[in-house]
Amino acid sequence: MKNLWVIFKKEIYRVVTDKRLVLGVFILPGLSIFLIYTIIGTAIGGQMDEEQAHVPTLYVENLPGEVEAHLDAHMDYTLQEGTIEEEALREKIREEELDLAVIFPEDFAERIDSREGIPEATVFYNQGSNHSSNAYNNFNQAMGAYHENIIMDRLDDPSDYHPYELGTVNLVDERNVVAQGFAMLMPMLIIIFLFVGVMNIGPDAIAGEKERGTIATLLVTPTRRTEIALGKVLSIALLSFASALSSFIGILLSLPQLMQFDDTLPDISIYGIGDFAVLLLVLIITVFFIVALVSIISTYAKSVKEATTLIMPFYFIAMIIGIMNSFGTDVNQSLLAHLAPIYGPINLLAGILTFEYSLVNFFATVLSTLVYTSLFVVLLNRMFSDERIMFTR
Amino acid sequence: MNDLLVKDLRKTFRLSRKQRRIDRTKERRKVAVDGLSFTARRGEIYGLLGPNGAGKTTTLRCIATLISPDEGDVRVDGKSVLTDSLEVRQYISFLTSELKLDDFFTPNYLFDYFSRLHGVDAATRKKRKKDLFKRFGIDRFAEVKVADLSSGMKQKTSLAISLVHDPDFIVFDEPTNGLDVLTARTVTDYLLEMREAGKAIILSTHILSVVEKMCDRVGIIIDGRLQAEGTLDEVRRTDADANLENVFFQLVEQSEVAAA
Repeated sequence: MKNLWVIFKKEIYRVVTDKRLVLGVFILPGLSIFLIYTIIGTAIGGQMDEEQAHVPTLYVENLPGEVEAHLDAHMDYTLQEGTIEEEALREKIREEELDLAVIFPEDFAERIDSREGIPEATVFYNQGSNHSSNAYNNFNQAMGAYHENIIMDRLDDPSDYHPYELGTVNLVDERNVVAQGFAMLMPMLIIIFLFVGVMNIGPDAIAGEKERGTIATLLVTPTRRTEIALGKVLSIALLSFASALSSFIGILLSLPQLMQFDDTLPDISIYGIGDFAVLLLVLIITVFFIVALVSIISTYAKSVKEATTLIMPFYFIAMIIGIMNSFGTDVNQSLLAHLAPIYGPINLLAGILTFEYSLVNFFATVLSTLVYTSLFVVLLNRMFSDERIMFTR
Repeated sequence: MNDLLVKDLRKTFRLSRKQRRIDRTKERRKVAVDGLSFTARRGEIYGLLGPNGAGKTTTLRCIATLISPDEGDVRVDGKSVLTDSLEVRQYISFLTSELKLDDFFTPNYLFDYFSRLHGVDAATRKKRKKDLFKRFGIDRFAEVKVADLSSGMKQKTSLAISLVHDPDFIVFDEPTNGLDVLTARTVTDYLLEMREAGKAIILSTHILSVVEKMCDRVGIIIDGRLQAEGTLDEVRRTDADANLENVFFQLVEQSEVAAA
């Protein structure tokens, strides 16, 4: 098996000494994810800051003194001076020159006090405008407080308004909240990043060599087909893992901006060394499975382009399984689910992240994935020995 | 001391629907090599001569274990390509235009890489690289990436790399293709030297002058069958003017008449 390492080292050397590949495989995935998420986070943050800084302009006709007191207590606002006709008012709200308009009847407060009918005030706002919607929400809160005061005044005993107290005790385990968050996102991202990492390297390493005619030069050396297959699979796995790692670093660095956590990351210290070790093991076997699958497709394909096209359906299937897992409520605990290719590792990853996995399920996924990968490698070995596959152009 | 024996070699290829349409045939399989037998002895250059599509390259690919024969066998130093392909690949050197070198690497790196695959130790590798690079003038561009080499330089590099393990059996398909006259001479001189060193050499070519200048024995292959074989003199004698070119054209014509 000496030649396995010769091939392994050559494949690694080929990538790490090529500036374009280093950029494309190790730097760009992380950098692009970091930039995209940072820009999105910054944009969202900017919008939120702008929203908070905005002081809405209100037009109010016949503003009762008590209502004004509640408005002052609940929101900052500027009152529009003068009198505006209703049509013009509607136009100004639509054009976002005004954020909110309220027309109270002249005798609004008197009628409430005397209980003569129900006085009606009209509120104009624009749901399509964030500023107007926010002003409307704040106005409603102020009016809610005003409404509560009126009811209490009408009661003989104000304490009747609170016939009971409701004490709540939230027994949430903060660890589980964080774990659920991780379990929702990470398995999907892991599977996508691993697949993309393998797709960056795999097709060129095998289909590319076939296309360029360099694989034949290797096949006439006294190297076993198994050594070639394993040398390729191991090197692609290592490089893909590094490529996926680049994507993870990108997402970790952009998390503070994206999640607006004020420069604090979600607390990953809820996981111990044992959890990380198990995660790493599942990641490694998953990488090998994906690499073996991509290698078979790349060996079958006549060119890099064909290989990439043939891999896409498998990538989409993996992505859909990852997304389905994100929307699922609980980890599927059935043994059968843990034996399924791709779904098994994703499900197990979610289980590890939420501390809800059994040793039986763990071994079921690990061993079944290893068996699938081994079968793929055996098939790959046969394909390397098949002249119709290796030399058909 | 064993030679390189090709025995009753037969190789067919399945024709795709497209290929059948192009060839205007209903046959589902094409016979590329049909019962071919010959022996390349140590200390001689055996010339394999034939027109395009005669089955030369298929024969060489069977010898190099890249493809397997349907029938028959090739034995290299007693080892069968069917059962001992790994050993066969240790003994032979195979050079053909379809074996390409990775554009990204330099001749220096590739020589070391293929030496390691052949299990050549570091000291031998260093010495052999120095000798071959000097002989073929590769030392001047040893650190230039293959992508930046001319076709002649690439051919020289392929040549040197095919010899990293100092094989006893050399199978070269048009080795002087793309080389200038001076380098072509260096290659032919090297092959003659290898013959003197007792190696068995199979030279596939369509250049008759090369055959006449270098080969001890020649086999003329047409439509996958050996149509004539012998020493150069023996083959020449079948023509009234003792002209190899005439012999070759007569055999091609006879084959075309038989096919019609």
